[in-house]
Amino acid sequence: MRKKTLSEIAENFKNNKEISDQIIKWHTIEPKEAVYAPLPSSVHPDLIKALERRGIGQLYAHQAEAYEAVMKGESITAVTPTASGKTLCYNLPVIQQIMNDHHSRALYIFPTKALAQDQKTELNELLELAEASINSYTYDGDTPAGIRQKVRKAGHIVITNPDMLHSAILPHHTKWVSLFENLKYVVIDELHIYRGVFGSHVANVMKRLKRICKFYGSDPIFICTSATIANPKELAEKLTGNRMQLIDRNGAPSAKKHFVFYNPPIVNHQMNIRRSATLEVRRIAGILLKEKIQTIVFARSRVRVEIILTYLQELVKNELGPKSIRGYRGGYLPTQRREIEKGLRTGDVYGVVSTNALELGVDIGQLQACVMTGYPGTIASAWQQAGRAGRRQGEALIIMVASSSPLDQFVIQHPDYFLEASPETARINPENIIIMLDHLKCAVFELPFERDELFGDIDPVDLLEYLTEERVLHFSSDRWHWMNDAFPAHNISLRSASQENVVIIDQSQTAAHKVLGEMDRFSAMTLLHDEAIYLHQGVQYQVEFLDWEEKKAFVREVEVDYYTDANLAVQLSVLEEDKSAETESAIASYGDVSVRAMATIFKKIKFDTHENIGSGPIDLPEAELHTSAAWFSLKEELHDMTDERIEQGLIGAAHALKAIVPVYVMCDPQDIQITPQVKAVHNQLPTIFVYDRYPGGIGLSEKVYESGSNLIDEAAMLVSGCRCENGCPSCVGTEISFTGGKKDAYALLKLFSEAMERKHDES
Amino acid sequence: MMSLKKKLDRMKPHLKQQHADKPVQGTDALPHMDLWKSNDTDLFVSGDQYCLIREVHFPLDYKHGHYKLEAFKHAVEAWNNVNFNHSLSAKGFAAEDLFFFDTETTGLSGTGTSIFLLGYARVDKDKIIVKQHILTDPANEVALYLSFLENVDYEMLVTFNGKSFDWPQVKSRHTLIRKHVPKLPETGHFDLYHASKRLWKSSLNSLKLKSIEEKKLGFERKDDIPGYLAPAIYFDFVERKHPEGMLKVLEHNEKDILSLITLYTHISFQLLGTDESQNSKEKLETGKWFKKEGVSNLSEKYLTDSYEMDQNPSAAFHLAFEHKKQHQYPQAITLWEISLEKGLPKEQRESAIEIAKLYEHHLKDFKNAYLFAMQAIKALDTEDLKNERKQKILGQIKHRLNRISRKMSGNNPK
Repeated sequence: MRKKTLSEIAENFKNNKEISDQIIKWHTIEPKEAVYAPLPSSVHPDLIKALERRGIGQLYAHQAEAYEAVMKGESITAVTPTASGKTLCYNLPVIQQIMNDHHSRALYIFPTKALAQDQKTELNELLELAEASINSYTYDGDTPAGIRQKVRKAGHIVITNPDMLHSAILPHHTKWVSLFENLKYVVIDELHIYRGVFGSHVANVMKRLKRICKFYGSDPIFICTSATIANPKELAEKLTGNRMQLIDRNGAPSAKKHFVFYNPPIVNHQMNIRRSATLEVRRIAGILLKEKIQTIVFARSRVRVEIILTYLQELVKNELGPKSIRGYRGGYLPTQRREIEKGLRTGDVYGVVSTNALELGVDIGQLQACVMTGYPGTIASAWQQAGRAGRRQGEALIIMVASSSPLDQFVIQHPDYFLEASPETARINPENIIIMLDHLKCAVFELPFERDELFGDIDPVDLLEYLTEERVLHFSSDRWHWMNDAFPAHNISLRSASQENVVIIDQSQTAAHKVLGEMDRFSAMTLLHDEAIYLHQGVQYQVEFLDWEEKKAFVREVEVDYYTDANLAVQLSVLEEDKSAETESAIASYGDVSVRAMATIFKKIKFDTHENIGSGPIDLPEAELHTSAAWFSLKEELHDMTDERIEQGLIGAAHALKAIVPVYVMCDPQDIQITPQVKAVHNQLPTIFVYDRYPGGIGLSEKVYESGSNLIDEAAMLVSGCRCENGCPSCVGTEISFTGGKKDAYALLKLFSEAMERKHDES
Repeated sequence: MMSLKKKLDRMKPHLKQQHADKPVQGTDALPHMDLWKSNDTDLFVSGDQYCLIREVHFPLDYKHGHYKLEAFKHAVEAWNNVNFNHSLSAKGFAAEDLFFFDTETTGLSGTGTSIFLLGYARVDKDKIIVKQHILTDPANEVALYLSFLENVDYEMLVTFNGKSFDWPQVKSRHTLIRKHVPKLPETGHFDLYHASKRLWKSSLNSLKLKSIEEKKLGFERKDDIPGYLAPAIYFDFVERKHPEGMLKVLEHNEKDILSLITLYTHISFQLLGTDESQNSKEKLETGKWFKKEGVSNLSEKYLTDSYEMDQNPSAAFHLAFEHKKQHQYPQAITLWEISLEKGLPKEQRESAIEIAKLYEHHLKDFKNAYLFAMQAIKALDTEDLKNERKQKILGQIKHRLNRISRKMSGNNPK
């Protein structure tokens, strides 16, 4: 029997009532022709030859634009969707420069080791074709000691990650003289990853890098590439301190795309519980695969990937054979990836089931269809996943299957918001005092600090004096000198803000305990308590023992169908109010707060149904956090509402905000905390606090305040648009016992939104 | 916005507390010069920077541990009179060419760790001169290196772990001020830590200089400050400028340097065969070392001496390879049988394999080859190896056994 084409299947989906009833929106994106530009005449003949051998006779417009700008000496940020040939945006000018001047050096920075490996392979292939004697090496924890010296002295292109730059390269810069003296380019790939705490750290690492470059007399050009975010230029400028030329007129072609929003049917009307997204994905992907449509399925966790993979292999094993559908997880070696890639090209592989690992730049070629199991969390990553489908010819089908989570339900019921909204803004706050102080220490360790020297554009004299008082630095002859026997970079992890981190140790294998990562203490109280389920790169671990004194959490890999949610008894006090706006009935403010928190109990919540299936106590001391917050208070007594109703309304409103805030400020839901208080300490009014989960704040709550009424209106829409009767996990949560709670939550959100509107009127 | 200062006060609970006892004050004049001078130390001034230099002389008959310092001169003479090569050989050098060097630093490696004391000793005719250059303030590093580089004119650096620590650190700090000071000289380098490791790794629990002094050089320190306190003493000196603590550090560093002289002398006598008290283990390690150096006649001599001294099975193990090389298979087998019985677990396994190889390839006795290969499996069992490694070796032995059985049954494809 003839297999159906993609457009025939799409037609089928539209006509099959069982499927079409669940489709909230069918959005078609028209195809786009490629915009080419000739290879610039200045490109070295050997390089032209190499490109031609690869079948590249001309460039996409954005690649040419990037090349010309860099050749003119400008730092650039190229916004490059999936599969638009972003690597040429930097490889072309870099190789060109080194071919012209063999002393030139370049530093490539990738967020992970795996990506660095991947890029090295690709880069070396191009260098071989060009028959260029250009050395490119990765320099990371896996680089053998024997070749490190060679990398330092003779590596034209050094490929590394920010952590390695921070802890191994910069503190030992005197071993890298030939790199720093001749550094022409710094390439920062996957720019959009550098947001939040991580980005704030990396911005400081860049300040240190530039200081060292200046010492050795170099002034490198920065070349950044980013997925689509709202503020690529701003982020790149904040991260590197260089003015950037934005290159965002993408010349790569794209196919006609169908973007389908699919909401599984409701199975329990009263509780508003929908059919599991996993099962729906199985059905939809099964239809596609049986017709031999090459399909990529995304799932949020590794466990989910395994489940869907097993389902699908079972489903099509007679038609296609089990090897035709492959799993793809983070941590795959380049060779394994090449095998899958090759299989996709030759047609031996039809389906790939992947975690979000694939979002990060790794190129496995283009497929025909993409199925997302749930909304991936941010608009940017949704588009990146969608970008995996779409060849130059033909059409592409992208289906987003929503789960029951409030965020998914919000997105699926407001597809226009998703399609029209500008993508998220990536926020960093390099001036976070704790982060900056850490890096200032490293900076002085690396080179004495001059009296009038700026750190980036900040005058750090107060901090340097503080460090002098603490006897970490010594001031003499107009310079601050390092005067301590510690190695500061070792105590500072770029992936978290607090210094006293809890180390997470995996003891799944008795003989080989390994460190999974670190977490700041404040977050550890609710995420790493005994019996907590901790997710790391999509893998579930259970905490067996949290050693609070020694700052260690011992975990073991498990597979369970629930997650844990800890209750934090929080007391908030306002330290300083920086901004404020008000109406007759509500006040919105932004400023610094002190959070005193104590973890009390935790609950085990079943996936999908959100049932509470167990609980236990948490026995940990109180912790204090100073951070920034936005807060919303109800000014006047609401005569028609009892205290109880206000309390329940606040809880419901907070639940809805919790779903909306991460979308708006582009952060991990764990980065931001939302706490309702019936009587806030500072004004005795019912208040909802939204605060950054990291000491000193990283700019998230400031963004909440700045987003103004829009954000709160969205939360209100989430509540009013939900089809449940009296509140459900998808809107105001299940903690509300009061029948009118949902309406009250909506009313409160509307009052806050009006206050926020006033802010705009005033400004 | 709050000022940084205000924010800082608020954030203090989140910052790691360091002890804040005394405020730091910059100072231009160095107090207590009289005390310094009475301790053989004087000022070196260059432009607006200065450092201190301490200089002490020792007569050649001064005894440090088992040896008088003049024994070092004898060692250099002896090296010049032998006709074999060794990486620690002073052949072609005069005693004056060697430069015994040790530093004190503010911490472990990394650009921010500064060297506050550069100490060295060298022979000058009838005496040993010890000089120590002291950084009085971190801002005066240029003066420290200028004074140091004025004084260094030598061929061979002698250090204890200087190849991976002291000298790279000197290079690192030098790089920071390289525009203001002359280049560092290119020289040879004897690292006595690596030499000590070769000789005594299997017999000493600790290879710290202090342990080697006690166990091998006959030198015991009295009232010595432990090296790990040196950074704290220096930080205190930078603040208060009082010499008392630093004088202790200088004394500690001076002893380190004198011990380098004695240690080089002692190791040379080990290698030159003039140490009467050399024990069997040292002879074994000396023999192995000469093998690495490519001096096989001396390797064989020391291994034989070690074996004859107390039938040291490890010596038998290594000696057997020399016999094999000279095609003396029965002697090799006899020696490997000894190490198979009494050697270390790894030596037992390797002995069995070596015997099996000789039977299989040279004596064509497949039955014995098979039996010894089987013994290798038994020996492997007692070894403390990672399972993965064990399985790999086991695979190799099984491969060997299969091949031998094929040969035994005459089915050799050849």
